Amino acid sequence: MFGYYISLALRSLRGTPVLSALMIAAIAVGVGASMTVLTLNYMMSQNALEHKDDVLYAVQLDSWDVNKAYDSPNELPRQITYRDAQALLRSDIPTRQVAMHRFGFTVELRDSPVLPFTASTRVTTRDFFSLFDVPFIYGGTWEKEADTSATQVVVLSKSTNDKLFSGENSVGKTISLNAEPFTVIGVIDHWQPAPNIHDLNNSHFAQSAKLFIPFGLHREYEIYSWGNTNGWNSERPDGYEGFLQGENIWIQYWVELSSSEQKGQYEDFLTAYIRGEKAQGRFERPLKFALSKPSEWLVLNEVLSDDNRVLGWVSLAFLLVCVINAVALLLAKFLRKAPEAGVRRALGASRSAIFTQHLIESAAIGMIGGIAGIFIAVLGISGIRHLAMGQMDTVATMDWVMMIAAVGLALIASLLAGFYPAWRISRTNPSIYLKTQ
Amino acid sequence: MLKMNNVRKSFRTDTIETHALRDFSLEVKEGEFVSVTGPSGSGKTTFLNIAGLLEPPTGGEYLLDGDDVSNLNDRQRSHLRNEKIGFIFQGFNLIPDLTLFDNIDVPLRYRGFSAKERRKRIEKVLEQVGLSARAKHLPAQLSGGQQQRIAIARALAGEPRFLLADEPTGNLDSLMARQVMELLEFINEWGTTIVMVTHDPELARRAHRNIQIVDGQVCDLRAVPEQPAAVSV
Repeated sequence: MFGYYISLALRSLRGTPVLSALMIAAIAVGVGASMTVLTLNYMMSQNALEHKDDVLYAVQLDSWDVNKAYDSPNELPRQITYRDAQALLRSDIPTRQVAMHRFGFTVELRDSPVLPFTASTRVTTRDFFSLFDVPFIYGGTWEKEADTSATQVVVLSKSTNDKLFSGENSVGKTISLNAEPFTVIGVIDHWQPAPNIHDLNNSHFAQSAKLFIPFGLHREYEIYSWGNTNGWNSERPDGYEGFLQGENIWIQYWVELSSSEQKGQYEDFLTAYIRGEKAQGRFERPLKFALSKPSEWLVLNEVLSDDNRVLGWVSLAFLLVCVINAVALLLAKFLRKAPEAGVRRALGASRSAIFTQHLIESAAIGMIGGIAGIFIAVLGISGIRHLAMGQMDTVATMDWVMMIAAVGLALIASLLAGFYPAWRISRTNPSIYLKTQ
Repeated sequence: MLKMNNVRKSFRTDTIETHALRDFSLEVKEGEFVSVTGPSGSGKTTFLNIAGLLEPPTGGEYLLDGDDVSNLNDRQRSHLRNEKIGFIFQGFNLIPDLTLFDNIDVPLRYRGFSAKERRKRIEKVLEQVGLSARAKHLPAQLSGGQQQRIAIARALAGEPRFLLADEPTGNLDSLMARQVMELLEFINEWGTTIVMVTHDPELARRAHRNIQIVDGQVCDLRAVPEQPAAVSV
């Protein structure tokens, strides 16, 4: 009977094209609007490191101003100082550890038609690639020594390698960064976590770095941060060395701790380190640090803000309004068909058969509305991408999960909308219509 | 075939209770052709609705084929209605946006027949009513008489043993009415029991027996000699 009900539903839709179009439009607009917002919220709440949620930790140390706590949900700075990063890097407790920040270089390839361009660069330690599961196409990361001494090597992103070397293996070739020669030692595959969980201090959804260079190059090139650098001490440090040894926070720090014992050891290490620094007059606030899992880090950085959540609920409320409109339209349509339902009842259809037939008609409207809603959502999302001028490209996209969710939402909405009208039509007394038709 | 004992049917609003049938008792035997007459509002249609299991009685006993069907639930009544009862209406009640073939198909779908069996039955009844060539037409493309023949074909497709006709010729001219009546007589000769509500005395006389309903009760025919003659079996 299911196939029969489907054919009846499609026949009925064709029979009342204007009314059907209105109902489909009501569902489509509701689903499209809500899916636009829900898709963004869904993409924003993704955790690219979910599979490592129990071993990776973002490190926070409270080196901030004794007179005023840092303005964050756990009152801890989201980055650490360079000198603290250097000290933590000396620990051999973590399985892997990464100190890093964002920078930018002017890239040039000699004897190439490619014009010089500025590329977002991640200055980091060698474990970055393995800790964040960044895949390599060619070559690999640098030696450990490069994390502490100036070594002019570079890892390229796939897009940079495509641009400079047409995608060929460029390992061993030389490119110029700010007019200095750097040897390519690796090329990574496309890697674009969304949100950028490894660096939430800058844009949550910015494109990943185009170049990766060793952490040991700071002094050689006087590398500052292209991201947020925050400080509380009004005394200006002397020169670049003063900047490195000052209380500015600009380094992101992650550790991989494979067991609870290892985590305990590292917590002891951090406690001892802070106490040592306190003895030297630093870390004047009460001893406090945090090791946050990726999932906790996303919450701490408010990637999905309260505003986004409220907007999600508002979009669902709008869908509810559309559903209520669809209920009224369906009721009008079904009651107009009450005589036919009366005839079917006389010919042997039970109330449940009439109910099912009309509910399937509602579901058919929902399916078509859902598909139309996907197009509206895609339009809405591309509108947001356009308005955000590239800042939302990584999250303003609809994957197959959300497309299925859109159709599912439309189906649920239409079944909810159709439930009462279908129930009403199934409860009508057929004899009234048989006599009066 | 059909036996009603002291059947009652009342409709209640907030302030008024209307008794459509009161102590209504009637027996229709297998193979009978019974006409039902009576003034408007006498309870003819209510009787037909209860007989056709479209409405349950308020009280009393209704036996169909020997089984008490007074207190069945909707699913059971729908199943019996589909299997044993055929309906013919004054207004034909064909579904306007379905072809004649699909209209006849409706009760067979609810019966659960295979596509092959449904097609066989539909083609058979279309041939019986002489409208095989019009299977793909819509009801609006047919005359009133042809539409009623399709309605009869639809009622017969499931091979019901009991046919209920509510003013089947009420919307037809005399020629078409005669043709439809001849078709009903023909169907009755095959063995189908027919109960027909009519206002037409001539048609009522052609039935085996005439029942008159007055004020929701079967009226004693001998007490109303001016009524159309009835032949009791």
